[in-house]
Amino acid sequence: MYSLILLNGGIGSRTGANQPKQLLKLRGIPILVYALVTADRVEQISQIVVNYPPDWREQVEEVLAAYAISTPVTLVEAGSSRHSSVAAMLPHCTNDDVIIHESARPLVRERDFQNLIDSEHRNVSLMSEISFTVAPVDPETSAVTGSLERDRLRNVQLPQKFSKSDLQAAHDRAVEQGVEFTEDATLVADSGFPVHFIDGSDENFKVTTKTDLKMAGFLLRPEEGDDE
Amino acid sequence: MSKTALVTGASRGIGLETPRRFILNHDEITTVVMFARDSEDFDENVAALEAELPIGRRLVPYRVDVGDRSALKKAVKQAYDEVGNIDILVNNAGYTNPVPLQQVKMSDFEKTMNVNLYGPFTIVKTLLNRGNRFDLIVNIASTAGINGRSGWLTYSASKAAVINMSQVMREELSIYGTRVVCLSPGRTATALRRTLAPEEDPSTIMQPEHVAQVIYTLCSPVGRFIDSENIVVRQ
Repeated sequence: MYSLILLNGGIGSRTGANQPKQLLKLRGIPILVYALVTADRVEQISQIVVNYPPDWREQVEEVLAAYAISTPVTLVEAGSSRHSSVAAMLPHCTNDDVIIHESARPLVRERDFQNLIDSEHRNVSLMSEISFTVAPVDPETSAVTGSLERDRLRNVQLPQKFSKSDLQAAHDRAVEQGVEFTEDATLVADSGFPVHFIDGSDENFKVTTKTDLKMAGFLLRPEEGDDE
Repeated sequence: MSKTALVTGASRGIGLETPRRFILNHDEITTVVMFARDSEDFDENVAALEAELPIGRRLVPYRVDVGDRSALKKAVKQAYDEVGNIDILVNNAGYTNPVPLQQVKMSDFEKTMNVNLYGPFTIVKTLLNRGNRFDLIVNIASTAGINGRSGWLTYSASKAAVINMSQVMREELSIYGTRVVCLSPGRTATALRRTLAPEEDPSTIMQPEHVAQVIYTLCSPVGRFIDSENIVVRQ
């Protein structure tokens, strides 16, 4: 069984709203609800650990109650960064394996979680191919410093799954070295543990900007038939 | 897989014919909860249906007025605790007292809205808040909700609201994979129709079993291919 770490602590400054973006409405429903309801359907997830931005606990609790999420939920206050939030949520996980997701990816599907769980490897991330070219640069001099092989790069997505002990050890090591990572697949890999990837969907994007909100709303609209 | 249905207004008409089809003919529906006001009709019809109940099938009657919100919430919670998840909900209970605009009593307008609109809403919300996951919700509206009818202000308005509410439910509940269908029957030989058109010969219009058959079809495997925001059933 798995504990789901659902990252929900962002304050959403880039959406320009006066509340965290995960509480904004997407087709009339708080963004947070989409990932919660999808995860709630996954049998192998027996616990959900959700964090909340400081001062927003009550609103998150209201959503959890209204949507009657049947999987037991543990609430944890968000840290000052994504990295510190995962570190703070990890000790609350009661299973030996954890899945990390973020509420800002509302288009995650049940089969994304299922594909991750079904993977033979223990530390796995959804990732997608990069459809554009990425160049290494020196921002100070505006110089292009070389080239990167697109085939050997991936766009890191969520959800990801990890052995709780591997993830804990990777976070402990980061504390010792005084470093922070922006996500956990590279953190765990950098700590020497094997991490694999499986192909994710390009629809499972992170809602960050107002344009993202519009795109997510468009993708979530009821499908229209090919009427002739 | 065994499924449970809840039908309101189940003492007669469409609300009685629908449970009959579910419990006698449906492959998967093994339990039908029937909500209706306390009446001799309800007692007799439940007894008659129970007499022909196949083995392994169950009827669970509740005597409750859908227009009484606190009683309704209590009954819904009791039913959920007794039978578990409600997979199929048919919001059929209806009320009307057709009078000209100048004679509409506010209390009667409120009663109409309570039974026709707030009742279905209360059932759906109460169950969702308890963690119920619906496969299908069928809200019975009316062709009078599509075009208002002179002399039927309260009824037409309430059914127009049901059609609109169904559209919202359909979108919001899609996150659970719930299908929401709004069904608008035209003239059907029910007690409510007799109130609306007392001069009409009921044998000349659509019968409750015809509408019940459409609801039954919506609950069959082919039902998911019948996809419309408001299905009109009329002669």
